[in-house]
Amino acid sequence: MSPVPARHRRRDLLRGLGSVGLVGLAGLAGAAPASAAPPRSRRRGTSTGASLALIGAEIHVGDGTVIKDGTVIVRGERIIAVGDASLGGALAADATRVDLRGKLLTPGFIAADSHLGLVEIGMEPGTRDDSGGEGPIRASYDAASAIRARSSLVQVQAIEGITSAAVAPSGGLLSGQVAWVDLAYGKGEALPTRPRIAVGGGLGQVVDGSRAATLAKLRRVIDDARLYRKLRGAHERRQLRDLAAHPRDLEALFPVLDRKVPLTLRAQGESDIVAAIELAREEKLRLVIIGGTEAWRVRERLAQASVPVIVQPSENLPGSLDRLGARLDNAALLDAAGVEVGIAIFGEAHNLRNATQEAGIAVANGLPYEKALTGLSLTIARAYGLEADYGTVSAGKIANLVTWAGDPLELEHFAAQVYVRGAAIPMVSRQTLLRERYRDLEAIRRRGR
Amino acid sequence: MPGMRGRGWTRSWGRVALCGILGTLGPVGVLGCRGKASTPPSDGSSDPAEADPSPTKKSAKKDTVDAPREVPVILLRGGRLMTAAGNIFERGDILLKDGAIAAVGETIEAPAGATVLDIVGKTVTPGIIDTHSHMGVYSSPGFKAHSDGNEAVAPNTAYARSVDGYWPQDPQLERARAGGVTTAQILPGSANLIGGRSFVVRLLPWARSAEDARFEGAPEGLKMACGENPKRVYGDKSGPQTRMGNVHGYRDAFQKAVEYRRGWEKHEKAQKKAAADRKMGISPSSGGGKEEASVDPPARDFGLETLVKVLDGEILVHNHCYRADEMSLMLDLAATYGFKIRSFHHAVEAYKIADRLADADTAASVWADWWGFKAEAFDGIRENAALLEVAGARAIIHSDSAIGIQRLNQEAGKAMYAGRSAGLEISENQALRWITYNPAWALGVEERTGTLEVGKLADVVVWSGSPFSVYSAAEQVYIAGELVYERGSQEPRSDFELGFREGDIGGDAEGVAP
Repeated sequence: MSPVPARHRRRDLLRGLGSVGLVGLAGLAGAAPASAAPPRSRRRGTSTGASLALIGAEIHVGDGTVIKDGTVIVRGERIIAVGDASLGGALAADATRVDLRGKLLTPGFIAADSHLGLVEIGMEPGTRDDSGGEGPIRASYDAASAIRARSSLVQVQAIEGITSAAVAPSGGLLSGQVAWVDLAYGKGEALPTRPRIAVGGGLGQVVDGSRAATLAKLRRVIDDARLYRKLRGAHERRQLRDLAAHPRDLEALFPVLDRKVPLTLRAQGESDIVAAIELAREEKLRLVIIGGTEAWRVRERLAQASVPVIVQPSENLPGSLDRLGARLDNAALLDAAGVEVGIAIFGEAHNLRNATQEAGIAVANGLPYEKALTGLSLTIARAYGLEADYGTVSAGKIANLVTWAGDPLELEHFAAQVYVRGAAIPMVSRQTLLRERYRDLEAIRRRGR
Repeated sequence: MPGMRGRGWTRSWGRVALCGILGTLGPVGVLGCRGKASTPPSDGSSDPAEADPSPTKKSAKKDTVDAPREVPVILLRGGRLMTAAGNIFERGDILLKDGAIAAVGETIEAPAGATVLDIVGKTVTPGIIDTHSHMGVYSSPGFKAHSDGNEAVAPNTAYARSVDGYWPQDPQLERARAGGVTTAQILPGSANLIGGRSFVVRLLPWARSAEDARFEGAPEGLKMACGENPKRVYGDKSGPQTRMGNVHGYRDAFQKAVEYRRGWEKHEKAQKKAAADRKMGISPSSGGGKEEASVDPPARDFGLETLVKVLDGEILVHNHCYRADEMSLMLDLAATYGFKIRSFHHAVEAYKIADRLADADTAASVWADWWGFKAEAFDGIRENAALLEVAGARAIIHSDSAIGIQRLNQEAGKAMYAGRSAGLEISENQALRWITYNPAWALGVEERTGTLEVGKLADVVVWSGSPFSVYSAAEQVYIAGELVYERGSQEPRSDFELGFREGDIGGDAEGVAP
């Protein structure tokens, strides 16, 4: 497994820079992404053609910085330059210029731990591919192999500013391999996908209805993944004891053991979160906590261990014993303690678009504004190890961008235009089509429909 | 088998216990307790409602305000008053006195002894009202023991009443109150075609029983459900298996109600005649055996009694129904039996028949943006409420969620802005009515609450800013003039949560979470 060929990106970038005549290499530092898998879509050839210049917006970069009256230049699928208004002067003649004065520009937002493309209709099992069977260990279940690029849900999210999604399987202790998709339009079955960017799972009373049994099982599986890797031959000669999981599932954990991809664990209660931190420390794993209802209670430990937490800020109900500590300022408390906080809507696919509202709720309860924007973009990219390509408006990154008439977290504002991989997507979804069809009921009456 | 014996024992023990308890309360014949004669409705009235020993009798009362509690006179001065009655005072005063709104205007003189609160920069709205909640019947934590919302033993349980399953210590209630909610309808679930009676609660922190929480004088509702849920729950059991079976279930139930009512009318007539005969000195025996027999009242049926009250317009129908075609069908069915559907709930396709809903004067309680979780919810759009409004129908934003109910103001905001974004003209007043006046109407309490108008209950929320902003919070919530929530200083918690939070045991107040 080789990392994404950095050469390609660098070449694209330099070519773009050549035509614009400026140097802004910020995005190049540490260009080798942590992903263990190459992108499915080919990037070669996409960097040709005219560039796109988005001029005059207030750019919220996604890392906490703001550029007033900024300019973003896109060539192909990548951002090749970000700077102030003076950038426009160096544009090639054939560049498409978009005047964004008075508007905001943000990175495309990223849906963490979603089911996008794995479910069309929640209660119709025939439309669901998010769960890989009965047993607790399904690490080899590969979400990427089941994603439906033509799902009607994709445009519904995309036109509201969600441009990427981490697509995670559900259920079990180790649910499977998480995939990353860009919500590009018109790619059909070739929706840009990076498979196997993480292994997702969940703690709690998953195995034998017991938290302790669940944690013990997870440790046995990790032990056996190491054992199997070391003594594969012995296993094949049947000279090895029974393993805690199928060899395929153990093999799927190798990138986790090598820290090439993170282990993203759904955990709500204090004890589960602490157990996950301990496990990650002992086994030297990259851990991401998903959910983290009571994470604020162990925020110092999370900060110390540099474990990011992705939360859904509105979740404040004591819905079960491991959520009795649920509170609205969870995100704010975590952030103040130095924990990286991502914001998401969990176990969902239909309304990932409401992540902006969730971020607003976090702000209303104490999270600094720019941290909330970061929580929808860079923090999530970083959690999944894809920050070299995603999460900020920076030269070198994939051009997933959104323009807004005003504050994107405010309910009043909807995305004005969304760009995915450098292309303006049609701002149309199945829902807007339904709206237009039924907008004029008088006309329908007259037609006798 | 031990398990079987256990169940049998429990059942018989339960019956003995119930007979013992209920023997002192009312008619026990229906329970089949041996050794006790069946007791007819106590007053022998021919009107089953009059004979009803249930708390619904209260609904006949015509109180204008709740029993007054000791509350100070409060003048909220200088806020932006969104009355939900058409006008918005950019800067106005509102006087809360004796549980009611005593004055609303640009400037109000503070009466002697009034507490004056300067709220310049804040926004005042009526208390938020939710037509669709299961708080108290599906409580948090979601223990098995807290599952009291669906009596899923038969597709028609019109006899069931949410008031009997309501747990006033549900921690969800406090969070809803902190979101500015003052009134909510507690509905049975949607497993059944006819799930039973709902009741309307006030979100009072001191309620120790469902009766304490009940909105006095508010009519009860009847929960009905279309579509997938009853099919799913009963498809492998007794049925219904299909939408055909669903509709038969409604028709059959209301047909029986019509006949039940006829039986009571006949009884009443015969009884009147017997009384008249007695006055005239005519011996009952000379009237003929047949008529004498009908003086005995029909066997009482609590389910049919509920449906008769629906036919009489006393109980308001709240119908869980997603698809436009099914809603149309239900409007026709209701017309056939002569009752009204007060509000459809969920109604994600209401925008497709907004004109028909307007004509029928049936409200639609909808979400701002939920969709797709099942086939009948697949055609949901963001502009549902706005399109209803523009068509002259009565739109309501409801929650059906203990998370959503905490931000109905934001949900209304989303729906308003989505409408505007699509070029539909929706005013702030209209959007505010989606969560105040219109739900009050759907619950039959629109003359008591739902707007900031003189004489109405002082159900009032003071917001930190626009209620349609994601950043705003309810800072003060008043129910009938009583301050029941104040952000940061008066945040009541349920019994259940006591002792679980930092600071509860150690006494460190700062450790008590919001």
